[in-house]
Amino acid sequence: MTEFADATVDRAASTAAASAPFVRLEGVWKRFGPLEVLRGIHLDVRQGEVVVLIGPSGSGKSTLLRCVCLLEPIQRGEIQIEGVPIAVGSEERGKKPDKGTIRRMRQEIGMVFQSFNLFPHLTAKQNIALAPRRVRGLSRTAADALAHELLARVGLSDKADEHPSRLSGGQQQRAAIARALAMRPQVMLFDEITSALDPELVGEVLRVMRQLANEGMTMLVVTHEMGFARDAADRVIFMDQGMIVEEDAPEVIFTRPEKGRTQAFLRQLLERA
Amino acid sequence: MDFDWTNLWEYLPFLLAGAGTTLAITGVAAAIATVLGLVLALARISGRRILSWPAYAYIEFFRTTPPLIQIVWFYFVVPVLIGYELNSFQAASAALGLNVAAFLGEIFRAGIQGVDATQRDAAQVLGLSRTDTYRFVILPQALRIVLPPATTTIMLLLKATALASAIGTMELTRVGQLISIETFRPFEILTAVAIIYFIINYPIALAARHLERRLAISGH
Repeated sequence: MTEFADATVDRAASTAAASAPFVRLEGVWKRFGPLEVLRGIHLDVRQGEVVVLIGPSGSGKSTLLRCVCLLEPIQRGEIQIEGVPIAVGSEERGKKPDKGTIRRMRQEIGMVFQSFNLFPHLTAKQNIALAPRRVRGLSRTAADALAHELLARVGLSDKADEHPSRLSGGQQQRAAIARALAMRPQVMLFDEITSALDPELVGEVLRVMRQLANEGMTMLVVTHEMGFARDAADRVIFMDQGMIVEEDAPEVIFTRPEKGRTQAFLRQLLERA
Repeated sequence: MDFDWTNLWEYLPFLLAGAGTTLAITGVAAAIATVLGLVLALARISGRRILSWPAYAYIEFFRTTPPLIQIVWFYFVVPVLIGYELNSFQAASAALGLNVAAFLGEIFRAGIQGVDATQRDAAQVLGLSRTDTYRFVILPQALRIVLPPATTTIMLLLKATALASAIGTMELTRVGQLISIETFRPFEILTAVAIIYFIINYPIALAARHLERRLAISGH
């Protein structure tokens, strides 16, 4: 049986042992034109840690994820994976990471999107097998075998030859997770992956995420699912208006948040539920 | 009205030969236009001024000037410029190919840009190279979008080959004209010409519809 992470290690032990952060954001500033979306973000994620980002819309959570997987450029600051800079602010002087480094480190990051973004003209199996074949150089048979293995892990074995249009939202999202995992990333980013799902489909996706967390995958998750945050997160970070307002263990954030803005946000969430 | 259809059988071989030439010009021009159109579309999208501006200039020039003038110009002027004789078939095929490339270029660009930007995002985070992203993700989806307008353009191209008659190419229209003059029966001959145009053009529409249906079955 293969694991998603390289070793099934007790999460607490691994976070203590790996003291150097796996993902580091250092003084990251990002603007869209005149609009400042990230204002001086400092964030470390240790290997095997599950970090959940919460906050109101527009707080910059999704943008933060997009910057980490290099879909958006940053203006100031630096982003490192395993100590290697993969993004340097455009306004910073000094060396920018070269394309080879970026391509190499990019494989360590997997991302799952709110709108699934599966390739509609390919079957589930083909969606998953494409990148391993073209980027990691797997043969067609090896890639197909990997795809079948991952489909089984997310509970979609019988849907291998279906196109995304024939899958429910929950199934599509699980396929999207399998597709990201096919590249054997060391850290997985999740951008509100259950927000576009009907409520009854959310559970199956959260189940896969919990499974990943239990297997020691380093995860950075943006979500409104507070239940998941409470159960699976090692750390919860509250963001507002482009800044990290507060971060702590989930028990602390949800029961005794310090900052007024955190309290206001959580209160609002409870009122809606 | 006094119609005499008996002549038709006698001249049918000539008309069919003309139709063959029409199809040949269409084939060559369509091949040129498709390849060049794709190049133009990618150049327009590239974002690099040195690529996009010449593509833009090319497209606007060929879109705005009449194909008839382009055909005539190709036959009389280009040989002088390049020092190489062009027969009427070559001139017509080249001119129409370059002309239709401009239209297909815009159609392909619309098709490529019509593919959701999020598809590019997904391909990018998976680490797919730019080439692979186009080859496996973008272009297959763009194909479905461009099929209807591109088909129409090819069908228009087939009809535009009639313009080659102006430089003496023995395509269907010119053959029909000559036979009409010889037989003094323009009505019967030109009716036959119209029917033959329909017979050779309609399969293009059918083939495209078949292809559309096949792409749709695969679920997107």
